[in-house]
Amino acid sequence: MSDAARERVEAVLRAAARVSAVDDALGVKARARLPDATGLSPEGVALALDLSVERSASPTELTSLLAWAGAAPRVHVVLSAGVFVAAVRALALAVAAAADVVVRPSRRDPLFAELLVEALARDAGGARVALASELTPGAGEHVHAYGRDETLDAIARRLGPEVVVRGHGTGLGLAAVGATDALDEAADALALDVALFDQRGCLSPRAAIVEGDAARVEAFAAALDAALARREALVPRGRLHESEREAMPAFRATAHLAGSLREGASWSVGAIADARALVLPPPGRNVAVLGAVDAARATRLVAPLAGLVTSVGGSAGSAFVTALTRAAPHARPARLGEMQRPALDGPVDRRRAERARLC
Amino acid sequence: MTREALHERVRRHARALAAGARPDERFDALALDVAMYQAANVPGYARLLAAHGVELARATSVAELPAVPTDAFRVLRVAAHAQADDAIVFRTSGTTTGLRGEHALSTVATYEEVAALAGHAALFEGAPERLELALLAPPVDEAPDSSLGFMLALFARRFASAASHHLREGRLDVAGLARAAERGAPLGVLGTSFAFVHLLDALEGRRLALAPGSFVMHTGGFKGRSREVPPAELRRAIADAFDVADDAVVGEYGMTELSSQLYEANLRRSRGLAAPKSTRHGVFFAPGWMRVRAVDPTTLAPLPPGGRGVLRFEDLANVDSAIAVQTADVGVVLEDGGVALEGRSPGAPPRGCSLAIDELLGGAP
Repeated sequence: MSDAARERVEAVLRAAARVSAVDDALGVKARARLPDATGLSPEGVALALDLSVERSASPTELTSLLAWAGAAPRVHVVLSAGVFVAAVRALALAVAAAADVVVRPSRRDPLFAELLVEALARDAGGARVALASELTPGAGEHVHAYGRDETLDAIARRLGPEVVVRGHGTGLGLAAVGATDALDEAADALALDVALFDQRGCLSPRAAIVEGDAARVEAFAAALDAALARREALVPRGRLHESEREAMPAFRATAHLAGSLREGASWSVGAIADARALVLPPPGRNVAVLGAVDAARATRLVAPLAGLVTSVGGSAGSAFVTALTRAAPHARPARLGEMQRPALDGPVDRRRAERARLC
Repeated sequence: MTREALHERVRRHARALAAGARPDERFDALALDVAMYQAANVPGYARLLAAHGVELARATSVAELPAVPTDAFRVLRVAAHAQADDAIVFRTSGTTTGLRGEHALSTVATYEEVAALAGHAALFEGAPERLELALLAPPVDEAPDSSLGFMLALFARRFASAASHHLREGRLDVAGLARAAERGAPLGVLGTSFAFVHLLDALEGRRLALAPGSFVMHTGGFKGRSREVPPAELRRAIADAFDVADDAVVGEYGMTELSSQLYEANLRRSRGLAAPKSTRHGVFFAPGWMRVRAVDPTTLAPLPPGGRGVLRFEDLANVDSAIAVQTADVGVVLEDGGVALEGRSPGAPPRGCSLAIDELLGGAP
């Protein structure tokens, strides 16, 4: 691996540290302006900056990240909205591959990327990072694109075969609660994962699969309801998107029909002990708690969507959690409470690591 | 009230409407009896009613009752009878995620009756006496849980002098369809929109001219497919390929979760039969035993005629499952009851790393 590449990545981490610091001018700007830009509450922005911004990486993690990145003459990064801190990892991966990087921020939410590039202008570790409003890669150059699978496919088709496109698509997280896990503790940790980014991240858990009977499912749902209420008091939810609001009636009705629904001012928990299929509520702090009598049942629930699961959160050493993680082979295993803080060892989305070329 | 009695009441109601007579009971009275039966026998429906603060005994219209979302048919069994009493189970086509909704019926008699009554009015009334059917959908023996396949087989038995299947094991039999057209008898060609797209691709501009009195019925959309063709473009291409008038191409709208279907009324109009004022392509009409409402997507409050919202269906024939079904399909209900379809609600925002709800909730019916 190249020392120059490592130096460039470390410069991105230094930039990230500045933009997330409370006592740096860029950090102050970020905290002041990101709520409007992202729709998250000021507390939600602060939580994300404090917990989910990568500011360091171990030597092992860096080695893994550099190995993934490979080398390119230039990398063009296409960012999406939803998880503003994703720009850090995206930039780290890009500069790991090339000294020349062009960043096209999300049109809806460009601020964080712009602040990072501003920080890098002063200390880039040898990288040359520029912002652009259009995507214009040359032959042989690489594009790292983030967003919906449909967007990535459209980009790949448009650019043709001479450009290497690496896509980082949509995904979701699942939480797993084993039969002997302490419910209150698990609920509290899960509430943090849910609150981060108001559940809009590709690692954000949308459902929790609980090993046990109906009583245990309801008990966990009640614990999670209480934990989300406590979390709301500390970190209020931000603005909901219109389509998130529009998706709620179907989730509410399905939860009532199939089990129970607990709803607060800005969160909801549906509990379904014997769902035939995975239920995924819309983002915005809504969780489906689904029961599975054993690991085999949980695996069958997850199987149809296994390809979309990017993260499985649960307690280490639990056979139930291990089984669920195996059911989603590309998912990052994590402890509950840490689902949105994966190691900086490569892309968050491991599913496309095996498909480095989309076209 | 037994379910058999309810089914018979619904069939009698539908027959009266189809004959142009006044049914012996009001829509809402019958619908509320069905709802009462479902509240007592569909696990969870009583909970849903309670969650909405609805006291069935006090309700005067089915419009007051909460609807069951189509997604629920995927997650739980929505049925008022035991599994052992299933006469048939229809399943949605699903998506690449493999999640299929299920609609279980305790009897096929009501489904057959209402499908035949509506189909006759939209497609077969005024048709030539000897009409053959060419079907572009998997036959029942290949897709026994397809409600569309079931309906087409019903039409073949009841309304056709002969019928042939031209989509088997995923392969389109263009040569066989050409032979059917060449026989020179009036032909009804019925199939899924996507099958017609494949057919048009295979024809590569060739025509399969149909005899006078022929017509084409297409149904279904393109959700989850790699290719989409705008409805007007598809219709023109079909009309051109089969050398039929634009009005001889009829759209049908149905779904696994409903027992009744809607149709465009242009074929009726072209045959000189009574047709509603807003008859035109893209506007679908429900039979008299079904009501359609556009509702606000967030509050589910009914919208006035002309208001654009997500569509809710109240289907008397859904005795065994849900009297009211809420979809994510977007449309406008016109003054005369016509339903102008506009596609699907986007659901949760597909922004950044979020998944589109429609990716997760299942595909075309």
